[in-house]
Amino acid sequence: MATFPILKTTAITQYPLARREQFQNQTVRFVDGREQRYRDSAGARLEWDIQLSQLDEGELAAIEEFFLESQGTFGSFSFTDPWDGKVHDNCSVAGDGLALVTAQEMHGSARLTVVRNI
Amino acid sequence: MAAYPQLQSGALSQFPVQKKRRTRTVVNLAADGSTIKLADPAAAVTEWLLTYRDLSDDEAATMRAFFNAAEGTLNGFTFLDPAGNLLAWSEQLDNAAWQTGPLLSLTSEISDPQGGTHAWRLSNSGAAEQTIGQTLSSPGEYHYCLSAFVRAAAATSVQLMIGSEVARRAVTSEWTRIACTSRGDDQATSVRFALEIGAGDAVDVYGLQVEAQTAASGYKASTHSGVYEDAHLADDALTITRTDVNRHSCTVKIIHANHL
Repeated sequence: MATFPILKTTAITQYPLARREQFQNQTVRFVDGREQRYRDSAGARLEWDIQLSQLDEGELAAIEEFFLESQGTFGSFSFTDPWDGKVHDNCSVAGDGLALVTAQEMHGSARLTVVRNI
Repeated sequence: MAAYPQLQSGALSQFPVQKKRRTRTVVNLAADGSTIKLADPAAAVTEWLLTYRDLSDDEAATMRAFFNAAEGTLNGFTFLDPAGNLLAWSEQLDNAAWQTGPLLSLTSEISDPQGGTHAWRLSNSGAAEQTIGQTLSSPGEYHYCLSAFVRAAAATSVQLMIGSEVARRAVTSEWTRIACTSRGDDQATSVRFALEIGAGDAVDVYGLQVEAQTAASGYKASTHSGVYEDAHLADDALTITRTDVNRHSCTVKIIHANHL
């Protein structure tokens, strides 16, 4: 399985790193005011918002190649959660777009969101 | 096919270069949050936003002439990615994209100067020079820089070839980045870039890269070539601002879509 590329420093990402967890529950409310709740998904949705800056040309190209290899949101890969080091095997890029900016030599930046597939 | 103009400096663009990759995936989202996905490779789109400052009168005139020849978004042209490696499969020298001499043997997974094992050992068992290279459908009149990291157990030399131009570079036992800058052959619609290994030599090679500029930038591993044929301008208008004597600025948006 493909793996999300790491930086030359061996770091997975840079600060700031936002991680979002989302459950999907349903609530049925009865006439008397009581509620019944149930889980409506196979698991929690996990997202990491990855912002990378000051990348050199090789690191930026690796991100781009990874995105192309994944065909955007289509492909799946394993991703190591930078918060706790846990490896999630079935992740995808969220969205079919990737913006890359080369501000000057060795000053590339990119931003993408990784989502754990349910 | 027409080609996007190089600046007088030999560069294709200035910093910053903004590039967007877009793909298309059909996603069927189930009620439980799981998904079924279908890729649509033909719908891939690449966009570049190039910002120019301090262009000379001649460069601004060239841009204007190119815009008029393209008639805005109407006509396609060849665009060379200014932020990419023009060579395809730069770390897979046994890929079909490479034209390799018959007596040149390739050994993979050699340790490379960046701490990985993506270098290749090229061994020439023949009695004459052997080459490995790619022919790109790129304009001959451009300036190109061909670069590579090389080393050899015994000091030797290799030749870098851009079209009919040849430059010899020394190879030592330490990883060294060698480069050659030249134009292709005028009027040519394709240029061959190659590395030539002498008879009986064995050379470790890593990071072969071609760029449409006069010096090498950081190595970018590639699977796709940075040559985009049938690219188009994304706008039907081009605004060039004169900021001073012999100084102009403008912004150009270029788009390449597989399905166009």
